[in-house]
Parts: sequence; structure tokens; C-alpha cells
Amino acid sequence: MPVEIIMPKVDMDMSTGTIAQWHVSQGDRVEKGLPLFDIETDKATMEIEAPTTGVLGSVSPTGVALPIGAAVAWLYEEGEVVGEPPHPVANASEIPASEEDVSSTPLALENITIPLVLSAADTQSASIKPRATPRARNAAREKGLDLAFVSGTGPRGRVQYRDIEALSVDWSASKSPQSFDQEVGDLVVSRTEGSGTPFVFFHGFANDATSWFALERRLVGRTIIKVDLPCHGKSPNRSYADFPSLVAELRTVFDKHVDQPVHLVAHSLGGALALAVADTRPRKIESLTLIAPAGLGPQINADALNGILRASQPQSLKPWLELLVADSSMITDAYSRAAMVARESANLRAAQARLASVLFPDGTQSFSLKSALERLDMPTKIIWGKADQIIPWQHALQAPGRVALHLLDGVGHMPHVEAPEELGLVLGALK
Amino acid sequence: MTSEANISVQELSYAEAIRDALDIALERDSRVILMGEDIGVYGGAFQVTGDLVHKYGAERVIDTPISELGGAGVAVGAALTGLRPIFEFQFSDFAALALEQIVNQAAKLRYMLGGEVSVPLVMRFPSGSGTGAAAQHSQSLEAWLAHVPGLKVLQPSTPEDAKGMLLAALEDPDPVMIYEHKILYKMKGQVPSGYYTTEIGKAAVRREGKDLTIVATSIMVHKALEAANSLAEAGIDVEVVDLRTIRPIDRETVLDSVRKTGKLLCVYEAVKTLGIGAEISALVAESDAFDYLEAPIVRLGGAECPIPYNPDLEKAAVPQVPDILEACRALHEGRV
Repeated sequence: MPVEIIMPKVDMDMSTGTIAQWHVSQGDRVEKGLPLFDIETDKATMEIEAPTTGVLGSVSPTGVALPIGAAVAWLYEEGEVVGEPPHPVANASEIPASEEDVSSTPLALENITIPLVLSAADTQSASIKPRATPRARNAAREKGLDLAFVSGTGPRGRVQYRDIEALSVDWSASKSPQSFDQEVGDLVVSRTEGSGTPFVFFHGFANDATSWFALERRLVGRTIIKVDLPCHGKSPNRSYADFPSLVAELRTVFDKHVDQPVHLVAHSLGGALALAVADTRPRKIESLTLIAPAGLGPQINADALNGILRASQPQSLKPWLELLVADSSMITDAYSRAAMVARESANLRAAQARLASVLFPDGTQSFSLKSALERLDMPTKIIWGKADQIIPWQHALQAPGRVALHLLDGVGHMPHVEAPEELGLVLGALK
Repeated sequence: MTSEANISVQELSYAEAIRDALDIALERDSRVILMGEDIGVYGGAFQVTGDLVHKYGAERVIDTPISELGGAGVAVGAALTGLRPIFEFQFSDFAALALEQIVNQAAKLRYMLGGEVSVPLVMRFPSGSGTGAAAQHSQSLEAWLAHVPGLKVLQPSTPEDAKGMLLAALEDPDPVMIYEHKILYKMKGQVPSGYYTTEIGKAAVRREGKDLTIVATSIMVHKALEAANSLAEAGIDVEVVDLRTIRPIDRETVLDSVRKTGKLLCVYEAVKTLGIGAEISALVAESDAFDYLEAPIVRLGGAECPIPYNPDLEKAAVPQVPDILEACRALHEGRV
């Protein structure tokens, strides 16, 4: 099987790259680690090494801007016929028409850390596209929205026209009320059937289960159970006296929906809740993965929390969302609108504000799970972006030595959104 | 309805409306002749021609021998000489015997002779199931002829259209094939008196609605309307388009409706595969109306089998009102 060579992302704000020079000619053999080609960006010229030993074929031309992630050549093994590549190499016509097009497409920014060689599993999952009706696609095109960030209400999650229409709501009329209506009912849990040990996902504060979208695409074929936390997503809004009463609710949901050992994956506030649940249900948790978890130190960015809670329109939400990620250009206007739609309900925003006042009084994490982390004996990982502006990544350093740390450069508080490929590799390795 | 519209209206059955049209045609144009098996003294297999032979004589209401191929050949020849023959098949199924004359002669002669001649021939095809006449007397084969350039193919669904389209067909210089559903012959409706024509190639919106579009033909228009009326009580607002002509198809009426509702159900009695529903679906998929679709297109057509003799199985082999209701609900509730 020939190995695909792709245009790598060597610069944070680069959307295309130009090959300045090939160091190896078509049909010639190259040793792993030797220079293969030079890329020219606005700022510099970089040398790219051969990821493996092989014979070079299907080479893209120099001097032409090619999209990030596009195949630029293939390396064939000894004895393999150098012929047609498994899929076409890049040509200039595949490039988006303008820089604006690229920046208005949040999905393109998932490419933050593309590995030089894509595995078969990666290319397979990347081919899964959002389902949408023709009318919804047409409307999304007109509004410059990326369908991947619109949650569909049609059959099998298909995006309908009404889902796009909802993103055009006039926010200026809505105001965040001080009190909110208490709601009853069970938390909303969704389950995707697949193989292997199931994954259970707990999302972070002021987020919801849709935030796992990019990561899910890297875990195709696996059983995934996603929970909408209370006062989040589609779950009911109600008040909790303190952190333990919130944990008690999550434990009940966990017991109800989990009947076999699972991989528990949790982000931020969800990470703290996961630690607390794991502390009391260790036999039902095969492994624990904490992404930028809360509960390991007192610091938290209170300004960002308050800003997100206060925002009642996309324009005021956007600057605070930008703090969630390392590369703020990822938060486009369309992304902010989609995020605001998820926070459209004034009741939900009021309920979250109340929850924040209980969990994070005076901008402090009022609960600590450090001792729980020390007690746990299931395989545990902590994944954290070193550009996190919400909770300091250095909290990870308090973990005992048997906890694996994955610290990501150039990634903020949302590794599962900013670097889903990396997390897909880490989680995909769990059986 | 166009030209010389008459204000007075009478209630006639579909068969009576056709007889009325034949009577008017024979009366006003001496070139018009009727041809077919048992259309004279017997009055036609479905009593459509009735007693016209007594009024116009056996020279203009001609019983042809039991040979569809021979009769159709004579009709093509008569049209070439300048007459206006109206040829009746006993059952549309038997037209299979006359395909050479219809497909290779009537449809082709104007083209092959450089426009020097035309074949102003009208043929009538009693078709469809529901009479307990089984596999060889119950088919809906209109799509066969609709596949042939040079022919026009009509499927009037009401007595008013049956009369107006037959009279319009006689004004057409080229061959026009009219499929009449046998079950519709007894259906009554308001029919204008006197001479008028109904435009060929123009669909009719029988019911306006905003939630979904049903494009139906022939008897299925009535089943669709029945379903639509019952769905209206459930708050589902269905638009019903009666195609009326399947060659040439009224593209714009279909596309306008789909652009409005975003959901399309095609209902026709003929076997589902490669039927008129496929053509309508493709028409939408190829047009800008595609961008208005909010759900996959759904087709309801006949079962992939010969029409059974057993009355229950015969019913089950073609779409019925409950099938249309369920298809509409599934579309409306986002289950497809």
C-alpha cells in the first residue's frame, strides 16, 4: 500500500501551501528522514522529510498553492507498481476561492495538527459529511454557515431548513432574566450503537453534548453514550445546592444508562463530575480520560465564565468564545451564531448562571477532586492544551505519576474541538 | 378550459362526457370517424360510443375486425389521407398488438417525410385495474407510449377533462393517445355543455396546500384528494397536482409546487419501477427545485407483479388511500 504524502500545516494561520522545490524526482527512491520537498509560506521556507522509505510517484507541481491536507505525492514500497494513486493528488482548482472562504469555515481549522501521514481510519472518518436536506444546504451556503456546526432536528440528525432558519433569530430582543423556571424530568442521554467498550461523554460547563461532534467523527463504529448535563443542552433546568448534589444526579444517570464497564471521557466541569463518579463506581470504569478537567485547583477564568453567561447575542458571546481556543480565528461569526442558538433559551442561561454561582463562587473552583484522582486505580489520562486560557494547564502536573499526560502545544481549552485528530488517535487506541 | 366556453353545465359520467365529445366532433367535422372493435351496434366494450352508430351511420362509426394491428394500420392510413379517425381499443393491454402502427408509423411519419405529412390520429385506451379482469386486462402501460417522441399521451381524471382533452386532441395535427381509467367511466362530474377544449400539456392543481406536494395521475388524483382531505383534519396541508398530460409533462407546475412545499410524493397506478414517478422525480432532481427539497422524494406505484385476479390482492397491488395517508404522514413528520 503506497503512503500518502500530504501538504502539512506548518503555520497556524496557513490554509494553503506552495511546494517550492522537490529534493527527489518522480520515480526516484528516498530514505525515511531525508529531505523530500520544501514548502513556502508567507513567512518562511520549510523542509519536509520523507515519512518513510519508498519510491516517489504522482508528484504535484511546484509553485502552485495547494490546500492543507491535500495529497501532494505518494511513496511506493519496493516492488509496488508506481501507478495511479489511490485517490487524485491535489491540484489548484480544489483550493477555496478566497481567504475569506477559508476563515468562514470553522471545520477547516480542525486541521491544526494534521499528521504528515494519514492512517486509513482517518481518511475513512473524514469522508463522513453532515446530513442535510438540499434546501438546508442551499440556505447554509447563502448564510455562509458550516453545516458541521448546525445540529439537525430531522431523521438521523439530518439538518432541515428550520435548523438554519433558527440561526437567523434576532437576538437583540432577548434579555437574560434573574430567576428561572425549575424543570423536572430526566437528563437527556443519547446513545450511538457500535462495537467495543462503550465511550461515555460528559461535556463541560456552558457547553452541551453536540461539542463532541468533531471527536465522534474520529470514533466511527464505536458505541458512544453522551449526557447533556443539567441546565445544559436538552436536559432540564433546575437548581442544585452544591457540587455533591450535582454529582448525585450524574451518578443516578450513570447507573441507569451504564450496565457494563465503559471508557469515561469528560471535559472541564464534566471532568470533575467524572472524577467524582469514578470515585464511587470504579468497577464500571475501564478507563478515565479527563480533558482540561475542573477540580484540580482553585483558578478558573471568571471573566470568561461571566461573559459567556451574560451574553444574549452572538456579538457579545464571540469575544468570550475566542478565549476558549488557542486560535481565535476558529470562532467565526457563523460559529458564534450557532453557539448562541444553543444558548437561545433565557431560562437555560439563567439556570447556568445560578449553577455557576454555586460551583464557582467569586470565580473560584469551590470543589477539589485531587484526592479522588490519587485514589483511582483505573488507567487514567489527562489531556490539556498548553494555550488554555480558562483553567491553567499546570493543574495537570498535580496528577500522580501513573496518570498519563498529553499536553498539546497550540491548543486551548477545547482540545476535542481544536485537535480532534490527536484525541481520536488517543481514544481510538482504547479497545 | 379554453375557447367557446359555454356557461351551461350538466352532470355527466366520465363515459358520457367522452360520448358527448365524440358526438360534438362527429357533428361539427365531417372528417371525424370512429373506429374500433364492437363500437357500433354493441356500443363499445365499456359502452362509451353507445348509440352513436344510429345517429351517424356505420360509415362513420366503424366496427373493425378483431385485429388491433390491422385496425390501427387502417386508422393511421385514414389520418394520412386527411380524415380525423378516433380509434378505440377494447382494453389498453391489447394495444401491445398494434405497437408497430403506433410507434413505428404514426409517431414517425411526420419526421421521416420531412414534415410533408402529419398523422392527426386520436386513440383511446381503457386502462387500469379494479374490474376483476386480471393480468391481461388491467394494466397501466401509458409510460410505454410516453417514451416515444412524436406521440402525445393524456390521462384525463375528470369528466370535464375527458371531454375537453378529447376535443383538444382532435385539433392536434399529430397522434394523441388518451388513457382512460376504466373505474372512472362511471364517475360523475360537472361538464360544460357544447364545444370547448382543455389545453394539452397543462397540469391542474386540484387542491392547494403548503406542506407537501402529491403529483398524481388518473384515478390516483381522486385517491390523493381523499387522502388530502382527511389529512387536512390533522392539520397537514397537502397540494394535489393532477398531471393530466404525461407527454409533454407540465414541468413548471410540478416544479412550482415543489419549490413551495419542499416535499414530493408521486402516486400512480402503473408498476412503480421506471414509471411516471421516476420521470417526475428526475425532473425535480435535475432542476433548481432540488434546492427546495426538505426530504427525499417518495414514489407510490403499483406492485412489481401482474395484476392478480383475487379482488383483495388486486387492491393490494396498486396504491390505496391508506397507503397515501401513511406516505404523507411519514414525509410530514420527518420519518423519511
